[in-house]
Amino acid sequence: MKLRIGSSAPSAVAVALPVPLGGAVPHAAAPAAKVAHFNGQAGTCCEVRTGGRLLLLIGVGPSPHDATYRAAGAMAVARLSHLKRIALDATGLFAPQAAAFALGAMLRGWTPPQNRRTADPDAPKLTHVDLISEIPGIEAAWGDAEAVWRGSELARDLVALPADVITPDGFIERLEPLRKAGVSITVLKRRDVQREGLGALLAVGQGSAHRPRLVLLQWEGAMEAKPVVFVGKGITFDTGGICIKPADKMWEMRADMAGAAACAGTMLSLALRRSPAPACAVLALAENAIGAESYRPGDVLTSFSGKTIEIIDTDAEGRLVLADALAWAVKRLRPAAVIDLATLTGSIVVALGHEMAGLFGNDPALAAHVAAAGEAVGEWVWRMPMAAGYRAALASDIADLMNCAKGRGQPDACQAAAFLSEFVGETPWVHLDIAGVESREAADDAHAAGATGFGVRLLDRLVAARFEDLHRA
Amino acid sequence: MLDIGFAKSALPKSGALVLLLEEGEPLAGNLLSAVDEATGGAVLRALTAAEFKGRAGSNCVILAPGAGLSRVIAIGIGKPDSLTQRGAEEAGGNVVPLLARETHAAIAAGGVSAELAAAVAMGAALRAYRFDRYRTKEKAEDKPRLSKLAILAAQPVKAREAWAPLKATVEGVFLSRDLVSEPANILTPAEMADRCVALEKLGLKVEVLGPKEMTKLGFGALMGVAMGSANEPRMVVMHWNGVSGGKKPAKSAAPPIAFIGKGVTFDTGGISIKPAAGMEDMKWDMAGAGAVVGLMATLAGRKAKVDAVGLVGLVENMPSGTAQRPGDVVTSYSGQTIEVLNTDAEGRLVLADVIHYCQEQFNPRFMIDLATLTGAIIVALGQEYAGLFSNDDALAAQIASVAEETGEKTWRMPLADAYDRGLKSDIADMKNIAGRYGGAITAAQFIQRFVQGGKPWVHLDIAGMAWSSKDTATTPKGATAFGVRLLDRLVSAHYENS
Repeated sequence: MKLRIGSSAPSAVAVALPVPLGGAVPHAAAPAAKVAHFNGQAGTCCEVRTGGRLLLLIGVGPSPHDATYRAAGAMAVARLSHLKRIALDATGLFAPQAAAFALGAMLRGWTPPQNRRTADPDAPKLTHVDLISEIPGIEAAWGDAEAVWRGSELARDLVALPADVITPDGFIERLEPLRKAGVSITVLKRRDVQREGLGALLAVGQGSAHRPRLVLLQWEGAMEAKPVVFVGKGITFDTGGICIKPADKMWEMRADMAGAAACAGTMLSLALRRSPAPACAVLALAENAIGAESYRPGDVLTSFSGKTIEIIDTDAEGRLVLADALAWAVKRLRPAAVIDLATLTGSIVVALGHEMAGLFGNDPALAAHVAAAGEAVGEWVWRMPMAAGYRAALASDIADLMNCAKGRGQPDACQAAAFLSEFVGETPWVHLDIAGVESREAADDAHAAGATGFGVRLLDRLVAARFEDLHRA
Repeated sequence: MLDIGFAKSALPKSGALVLLLEEGEPLAGNLLSAVDEATGGAVLRALTAAEFKGRAGSNCVILAPGAGLSRVIAIGIGKPDSLTQRGAEEAGGNVVPLLARETHAAIAAGGVSAELAAAVAMGAALRAYRFDRYRTKEKAEDKPRLSKLAILAAQPVKAREAWAPLKATVEGVFLSRDLVSEPANILTPAEMADRCVALEKLGLKVEVLGPKEMTKLGFGALMGVAMGSANEPRMVVMHWNGVSGGKKPAKSAAPPIAFIGKGVTFDTGGISIKPAAGMEDMKWDMAGAGAVVGLMATLAGRKAKVDAVGLVGLVENMPSGTAQRPGDVVTSYSGQTIEVLNTDAEGRLVLADVIHYCQEQFNPRFMIDLATLTGAIIVALGQEYAGLFSNDDALAAQIASVAEETGEKTWRMPLADAYDRGLKSDIADMKNIAGRYGGAITAAQFIQRFVQGGKPWVHLDIAGMAWSSKDTATTPKGATAFGVRLLDRLVSAHYENS
């Protein structure tokens, strides 16, 4: 999709216009709006054909703010994506609201990369959006929003593409836009992974023909400060390994790298908008496959940290690759803060469903900042507990800890977080369990179906609000 | 219950002596030097040999040290002056299994305040609970023998005064544990209602509604659950009028606070029957009601200066020829219709009617319900926290703060419209389930639909907390009575007129 900013949109056949509660509608549309009982209530809209164009009136309620304009933009695309070119009428909006309006539309306009090539007559056709605005500062405001949109697109494409394309190396090949934007990319191949002693990552990847990789993305920024570091789980496909998953819905496991994808998308966003904050991402990429070399339940691994891990279930592999990536990041990068993202547990989906991600951490202030960033952008998180009992459940008879507790019905999300906390030490750390929010089953006015890119907008906002001002850090 | 007495701190002549020792070099604690001297230095020699440092939670047992004592037990209470109320309870509780072979013992608590000495007593009493009713052949020597426990305190009179209300709480907890432990062939809804009526001796006023009354009122949701069982349902309303000293409250009196419990005396799942494995646990599907009954007994027992009502909905959920079917639509007491898609999501149906009745009858200051409601909350929080859902941040925060003090921990979980949407039914006002994901939240959303006008309300999902598979400091394996102490403390800390 492309977005053009201008004072008019001569070639768009449809225009979306936000209308506050009780606000005036264009004269020609007034009779139709009245018949449809449209009065500007948030979440409602009304289509009017006037002067050879389609006018979509979108209610933004009594006191519209950024989130309402984002929702209005999304609704515009949800209703008009059968057209090739539409306009968003942001006349009279301040630059941040106009940019939010545009961002909502562009995010809603994402389609899975596979769809972009099909001949499906019902596939969305929208390719061009005109933003009608002459307000000073709109170019800069959209520039920042566009960066986060591009980051989100990258993350969503990575999640949506199948696992035969997105192998660990296939994932890395698609990081080219980051290099172009000025992010340095270092790839640790299997030998390096071995030499570094990343024993947990190595074990998870050893059953696959596609070898595991550890990727370091670095954005220097402009400030003399310790970097904020994002760590992403990147299991490009998760069969469960020897503890194989049921066949039903196994195809969804191509999205088990959504944490790593969100980290990559965030780095692209920061680079495109030239964030002054130094930031890094560490992506732990591996395929959890079944093979003659697969690791087994009962194996004991020595992780990068030196801690030994007894494997109870080879399908609890995300925490293993994260254990090494987190410990490596803390030791090698000396971060100001670490935030990891992972489609980690089914337990968090049972706990919170598809509306919120689980937030765990060792630093209440950082946790509060992450939660606030999520709320601001509409990527909701809910704080979950860290308690000694969860760690106690991982006590092993023969190693430092087990990778999960034995038995069914365990609070696995909390126990997995307790497991990860063993590998971050004192560094301020937040873990986001994004299983359940990385994809949406069905489209609605606010969301496209499929990959959500959850985390990109949250982390971009977190950096903007928390890590770009030296005095606040 | 253990026979607990308080006495001036002095070295006993026989039996077992428990020392509470602070961490430090040298070790320090009430009666330590006295008992060491009387035993010719045997006690300190033994503690040194055992490398006992006084760390909180550690202990050392010294058998027959001399001076006529059968054993001296050192219990670590951590750094000097760090002992909290909860820490004192845990110390008292941890002593009990070490004293199983003694008939009487003394705890030297002269080094701590009277309040903490009483807390030690409470911990010991709580841990000494046993549900022995159906063990007919256990040999006497296999039973714990401890029957008398003396707390040696610096101010025994003050400590005894502090113990009096705690004793009432322990009795409430024991009542609750008994109810939860009872098997379902004994504890039917009618039997449980009878046990509530027996609490009138404490000064509670108790009303019981049977199937006729509830049908007449229009309790379609509760009656729908009950209709598969030969054991008739009951709803019990317990009043504690503590402000007016047990008399009927004046018309001008402030409204009461209200507690509501799910009391499914056995839950087979109904027609949506549960798997056989683990089904025996479902005798404790009335633990929410059990907690409410124990709480009301506690408030009455300690003559709490509060007006409170406790309501429990008691039913048995059985599959039978008369049982409710998946797909049935029932009309709740509130008038809202419910499509019952899963007969095993029955607790919320019972609560729906009882909560509506409670609000309509009493317009209480707030309502707190307790229920072993969902498996999802166990997958979310395990056996560490009860899930706390609320429409009122202030009340939720009050509960969270007392939760830490009592060791009955809660964790706030979310409510949001996006979850509520999952309850939309094609043919009724709502359905009773919304899928496996976020199941504890959607259950709470369901209940919230029966709370009117934003009345302050808290829902505690205690499915993971009602039963403990292992001993903890103050709770032997089995029924925990989770909620009794938490809500008793909530009342004493925030809702009693002093």
